[in-house]
Amino acid sequence: MQGKYKFLMVSALSASCLMSGAVNAADKSLAIPGWQMAVPDGKDTPTIDPMILYSSGGVDGKMAVIGIPSFKTYRHIDCGVDTHEISFGGSNKGNKNGTPDGKYVYLNDKGANTVCEFDLQTGYLARVIALPFPFGVHHIAMSTDGKNMFATGEYSGKMLKMDIKSGKTEVIDWGPSPSAPDYIDATRNGKYVFAGNYYHSTVGVFSTSPFKLIKEIPVGKNPHGTDINPESTMVAVSDKLSATMTIIDVDKLAVKKVLPTCAGPLHSVMDVYNKDGGSYRAGIDSPDGLTSKYVYESCFVADANVKVSYAKLEVVDEIPTHYRTGHISISPDNSYVLSLNKFSTGLFSPTGIVFPVNFEMWDAREKSPTYGKTLRIMPVDGEPHNAKGLMAYLIKDWTKGQAEDGGLITGRTDLLDPPHRALSKRYFIPKETTAPGVKVVDGVKEVHMKAFSYGYIPRQVRVNKGDKVRLFATNIDKASGITKNPDVTMGLTIYGPYGQRSNMDLPRGVTGVHEFTAEIAGEYEIFCTHFCGPLHLEMRAAFFVDDPKKGPSNLAVGDYDAAQKLPGLLEEGQLTVSERVKGL
Amino acid sequence: MKNAKLKIGLIAMTSLGMMWGSSATFAAEKRCTAGGQKVECPTITEAEAKKASAAFLKEGDDMEAGKGGSTYGIAPFDYLTGVGKRSDVAAAGAKAGTYKTESGYGHQQAGSLKTELWDRVKAPKSDGVSDKSVYDQWSGNWSPTFAGADPTQGKNYYYSYCIACHGWLMHGDGPSASELDPRPRTLTRGDYMQKKTNLELFTVIKGGGEAVSLSSSMPNWGNVLQDQDIWNIVAFIRAMQDVKPPASVAEYLNPKSTFKPIAGDVDALTASKSKDFQEANETLESDMTGRAPGSELVGGGFVEGGNRKKPSEVSVKVAK
Repeated sequence: MQGKYKFLMVSALSASCLMSGAVNAADKSLAIPGWQMAVPDGKDTPTIDPMILYSSGGVDGKMAVIGIPSFKTYRHIDCGVDTHEISFGGSNKGNKNGTPDGKYVYLNDKGANTVCEFDLQTGYLARVIALPFPFGVHHIAMSTDGKNMFATGEYSGKMLKMDIKSGKTEVIDWGPSPSAPDYIDATRNGKYVFAGNYYHSTVGVFSTSPFKLIKEIPVGKNPHGTDINPESTMVAVSDKLSATMTIIDVDKLAVKKVLPTCAGPLHSVMDVYNKDGGSYRAGIDSPDGLTSKYVYESCFVADANVKVSYAKLEVVDEIPTHYRTGHISISPDNSYVLSLNKFSTGLFSPTGIVFPVNFEMWDAREKSPTYGKTLRIMPVDGEPHNAKGLMAYLIKDWTKGQAEDGGLITGRTDLLDPPHRALSKRYFIPKETTAPGVKVVDGVKEVHMKAFSYGYIPRQVRVNKGDKVRLFATNIDKASGITKNPDVTMGLTIYGPYGQRSNMDLPRGVTGVHEFTAEIAGEYEIFCTHFCGPLHLEMRAAFFVDDPKKGPSNLAVGDYDAAQKLPGLLEEGQLTVSERVKGL
Repeated sequence: MKNAKLKIGLIAMTSLGMMWGSSATFAAEKRCTAGGQKVECPTITEAEAKKASAAFLKEGDDMEAGKGGSTYGIAPFDYLTGVGKRSDVAAAGAKAGTYKTESGYGHQQAGSLKTELWDRVKAPKSDGVSDKSVYDQWSGNWSPTFAGADPTQGKNYYYSYCIACHGWLMHGDGPSASELDPRPRTLTRGDYMQKKTNLELFTVIKGGGEAVSLSSSMPNWGNVLQDQDIWNIVAFIRAMQDVKPPASVAEYLNPKSTFKPIAGDVDALTASKSKDFQEANETLESDMTGRAPGSELVGGGFVEGGNRKKPSEVSVKVAK
């Protein structure tokens, strides 16, 4: 079965000019089981990459640094628990890659409710910014002037605007409940922020100053990607359960067109050109007057990327991907579309109980003989969410003592990684069949949960402050929900102060156990950390830690100041604790 | 059957959470009442659940091998919609070297409502269906109607959230059914469902099994779905009462329900005026995830979006 599948993949790959032939080494190595192909001498990929991709590692809590087009991983840098959205410091002008200034790259940690700031020049984690609770950050977006960051609070129905330097943060509510703001983007003229809300099935429009909700625009069912073009005239919304893309007119703040795209659309990314029609070179070209021709949308259920013309507002091509594309990224020079695939069924050698996800790079150059073809496909660590690229010239070569001339760092630089490995006790046991619920065993609250596509049973768990908790989680899926993926792995993380202590992979056939003391009261959302299907995001439950002195916890009652300090993870002074302010 | 002996009550909705003791019993036959009377528990047998689960697993394995007419598809959805089916590379109209699906992606379709994922209507000739109107009826051919709610919208969410346990045809035979004890309800059994009031159905969907002293395996969906979404799902369940497994595409697209509105019951249109409903809803809301008292984050609101309509604006085409 797998052999046939691999054959198909090899056929697809060998069509590319980068990997053709495959005769010499393979013929001599027939003794190696499963040998597929070898790269002919002298035709390997370049070792100097003109572009670098920064990828959130998802459940591995890291950021990966990958070369384009070599598709070789350079390094992994620790951030925290479950990392999501990459955003370069500088300006959001341009396409989704923005206009990086080469100083910092930001990565939000959904599991710990923080934002990690990495120094692009040292390659180290520079700062961890702890966001207020309750929040549950899903995604972040850079402002046009690079001073502020906007973020969605998926697990609380809230939105925030933060001053990046000081960490001062304004948080506003977006009701009514249930409310789940998830993907976010800001216009390139600094005027609006757009965010999708998958429970409301709307896109919210926020003014940036004052920061407030000014309108909700109804879109298709359970929207996800909400992506603005470089001209700031159109927002492409991926209507996850409606198989459509809703185009919002930014001037009119109204729906311009709804076009059928593909099954399970999740995210969009677009190309970007400078005034002369060439690739936009951040730091060299003017960031004004940038334009875009095509928007590429990832289609999770259809296993494809579709290409939509901005001029025609219709689908002009569909590229098959392997398989289940979640996020989608584009190289800064518009040459390659990077399909961040969630399932790799039958593609790679098994290396453990969890099958790897993969990145697939296809040729987006219309005049290329390999247009539309997969050029590279690689297994990746963790479960990456978004990835964004920059031109490699923005990173100076400091590797041969160039820092002796100064300019690399200007003051004390704490080495913060790995910051989130404390207080964590997790283990596997053989698959248990205990019914879902809570019971007390030897003074320990034993919580038994089942994970299925798409949800947890029970959906709400309550314990008391100070309780010792032993959380058993079992994946009961045979194949993931409506998409029938056979290699489904679920995950379970309680966001916030319990993040790393609860962060657990749930492959089929075993039960994951987490042990911790619930010493911080509040309502903390439980979420799935492995992309299990189109309703992965909706796979949520809630963990309530009640303080008997304060009564049942909710989003207004809890030890949220204590939670924000993430006790045990970082020392005082190593964490920028965002101060809540009114009006920013 | 030891695991079936659950003691679950409304205590679960308090701050104590769900607790049970091994000595307590809550026998299966007593759980199943309808209209105040004991009835047979409308679930499938253990053997049937295992069979359904194995079949689903096999479909997953077949998919890995590229069998079953779907490249990597979402059968049985692609049977209706073409989603996941790829046409030949050299097919007429397809650009050489690229793929086009048979589902009509990339082509304009009139009316945005027809682009809903599961309602994409294009009759594949391979099914032997020449009358396109049969397919068009899928999104508007319900029997009977349900005041203030739209089964088509409910169906969308049913297929997203409910099928894992309740199954493709609502027989309680989803792929996860064999892992649950007690097993999920068969939702098409008229002798049982006709006695269940709309208020009971709304309550169990919004608040989960514990809200009606039943299995904790039924999660509460009130922190996922708005009230109108839940009414739409109730409407879909009502529209599938006693509907048999279809023998043809036409039967599949024209479910004939036996449901008759229950006298004095609330529905989506009358709920806002019903004291019983409001009391039940307040209890459900009081302990729901994601609510923040004293802020804008209170529940039970209505937001226009995702083709959601206010009950007074819902109009559904009914088959004669």
